[in-house]
Amino acid sequence: MPLSSYVATDDLTVLLGLSAAALFLLQNLYKPQPLVHPILLGRQSDVAPVRNPGESAVYRNYSTSAMGRLPLRPAAGVQTIIDLVRADIDSPRTLWSTKITNAQLLARVKAFASGLDNLSKFQAGESKVLFLLNDCLEFLIADIAFAAKSITTMTISSPELLAEVLDNYSPSAIITDSDFLSHIIEQVYDLNQHTHTTVIVVGDPGSVGVQLAKEMSLLKFTDVEKEGANNPTNLSPPTDVNHAFTIAFSKSPDGAGVQAVQFTQQNLTAGVASTRSLLPVSSPLTPLDTVVSSFSLSTPYGRTIAYTAVYEGTSFATLNSTRIFSGDGEVQLDAPGALKDINSSSAFPIPSPTILFVKPEHVISLTSSILNAARSGSWLSGWGWRHKTAHATEGFITKESLWDRLVFDAARVKVLGEGAGTLRALIATGGYTPADTLTPTRVVFSIPYVNAVSSDVVFGPIFASYPHDLQIHPSSEAGGAFENIAHVGAPTVSMEVKLVGVDDVTIEEGKDPAGEVYVRGPPAGTLLGSTNNPINGEHWLRTGYRGKAQPNGCFKVAPLKK
Amino acid sequence: MTFSIGNPINTALVLYIVYRVNSILFPSIKPPSTIPHDFRDGYSWMPKSHPPTMLYKTYTPKTLTPFNGMNGQRILLAINGIVFDVSRGRNFYGPEGMYANFAGRDASRGMAKQSFDEEMLTDIDQPLDKLEDLTPSEIENMNGWIDHFSSKYTVCGRLVNEGEVQ
Repeated sequence: MPLSSYVATDDLTVLLGLSAAALFLLQNLYKPQPLVHPILLGRQSDVAPVRNPGESAVYRNYSTSAMGRLPLRPAAGVQTIIDLVRADIDSPRTLWSTKITNAQLLARVKAFASGLDNLSKFQAGESKVLFLLNDCLEFLIADIAFAAKSITTMTISSPELLAEVLDNYSPSAIITDSDFLSHIIEQVYDLNQHTHTTVIVVGDPGSVGVQLAKEMSLLKFTDVEKEGANNPTNLSPPTDVNHAFTIAFSKSPDGAGVQAVQFTQQNLTAGVASTRSLLPVSSPLTPLDTVVSSFSLSTPYGRTIAYTAVYEGTSFATLNSTRIFSGDGEVQLDAPGALKDINSSSAFPIPSPTILFVKPEHVISLTSSILNAARSGSWLSGWGWRHKTAHATEGFITKESLWDRLVFDAARVKVLGEGAGTLRALIATGGYTPADTLTPTRVVFSIPYVNAVSSDVVFGPIFASYPHDLQIHPSSEAGGAFENIAHVGAPTVSMEVKLVGVDDVTIEEGKDPAGEVYVRGPPAGTLLGSTNNPINGEHWLRTGYRGKAQPNGCFKVAPLKK
Repeated sequence: MTFSIGNPINTALVLYIVYRVNSILFPSIKPPSTIPHDFRDGYSWMPKSHPPTMLYKTYTPKTLTPFNGMNGQRILLAINGIVFDVSRGRNFYGPEGMYANFAGRDASRGMAKQSFDEEMLTDIDQPLDKLEDLTPSEIENMNGWIDHFSSKYTVCGRLVNEGEVQ
């Protein structure tokens, strides 16, 4: 047959040719743009050019190196804890169960402070107050009032540490919930400290409580406030922001007892600056947000989150799992428990949460519940999953896609309730998020998802992943300590990190440095009672983590003791 | 008008269209088998190596001397016991540079007195220059040079006498 019959074209050819060209253009030009250019994800830390033998170089956040110095405060002029309650934000917001403006909050703080003056014998600079209080507004009021009067506050991260702290640090006062009161009174009497310890009770101690505390000075929080409300003092600004205002007790990383870390107000403002930077610059915290946290105010990290919420004027509440001072044991965070815990925030009259600061257990259980709800809810879920995952591998994700409207919005509402659509950022802190849950969580929520790590020696997070980072790297270390752990990003804006105990030979060969994580920076406190002598004027703190640095500046961490 | 799919060109086009539609409707979600090392090769890339770092070392006058850039090595110089890596300033401190005298040596006196003469350098076999006879303004000048060097070059070690190395 002549060649011409093979290459004969007809009208159908023209039609098909045009369609093919159109499809080709459609697919190549309509590719979604990644949320962040991948070139920026290749260099997320600023690495120092010199390192000491046996240590890695000092890592800082890449954007910090451009500024040259580590931020000390969220904005100019925020020096003390009182400055964190901004005078220029006057809209009311709900803190736990109370709708309150900043002006009202400061008024209550002043009332409490002057009530203290009248009713108790606290000496500025000498007295120490132990907080055994579950998270509530009274915690914040008392914390700010004591700080303003230069009375050191002490917090413990777990009730097990109570005996040792009472024994070694003899607080002049204890502030606690009415539920926990009987427990404390026992311990105080045991240690024979009852004659010189004042107890301030939030809530009603009841006749039983009053009976038990017959030899102790017992004050009700509401009485102190009422007393002070008649003639509130003016809060004089403390003279030295570098003076320690609080001591946080926690379990020591090597398991050897209690670790006491002393913090100044500058540590707190630096921690707030660090925490604010977790969210993308294009969508920072605003007074319209509602922050919900699963970290207790008795831990430095939880406290920083609360003060960041106060500073930004958002509504704020904490989950049930933060109630460490109650007669019941710890809340179990297995899959059904974690879900119930997240929904416990609906007990407070806050607007539906927009930012969640939770633990990896919460995220894992939420992701699997939403996935199950999606699969059972719509036959299109597999197809939608496929499309969203394909976009995510190119670096793009959105909550407003067709698949969200068809499949995932309904699934989220089923698990999180009617307010699920308002959620706009998810921050999981802990460092042990499994790597294989990264893609499911990103696809199912389609909001900025940050993996962060904190420690009891700093205010705020140490590491945090970039919110628009959607990279997936296959796990290269099988069986190591970092197997199947998601990376936690680069150090946050105010932190400097180095790894100690690294193998120099490994680094010279170009492999990833791995060692114990040490931190330094404005949010880091000072360890009490240790021979923490500065070496060359440098104070580095152990965080209790082992870490590994990747070539792009991101880290993976695992707890020290196994 | 005739429509015939049997036509080879039409068949090819139809197959191509089916393939394209399939990849639009059912995109691949298989992760790449190897990690790309360039951002152009894939979104989930990872740089091949870490940024280079050098070890902070303790030098003595004898161990510092070889680092004068003669054989293409790094160029180091010391001021007041702080060793700087000035390899980037090869034009100044390299073998043909104006200040080549300082390469691999303790340049403290020269920096203080603003002179590049040979007399400013202490012999390698002698203990380090204690700089006791410098006037306060000369010491200030030297400190100014230390600040300049700290911002321009990397501090990579310290210089001590023989026998002081731990």
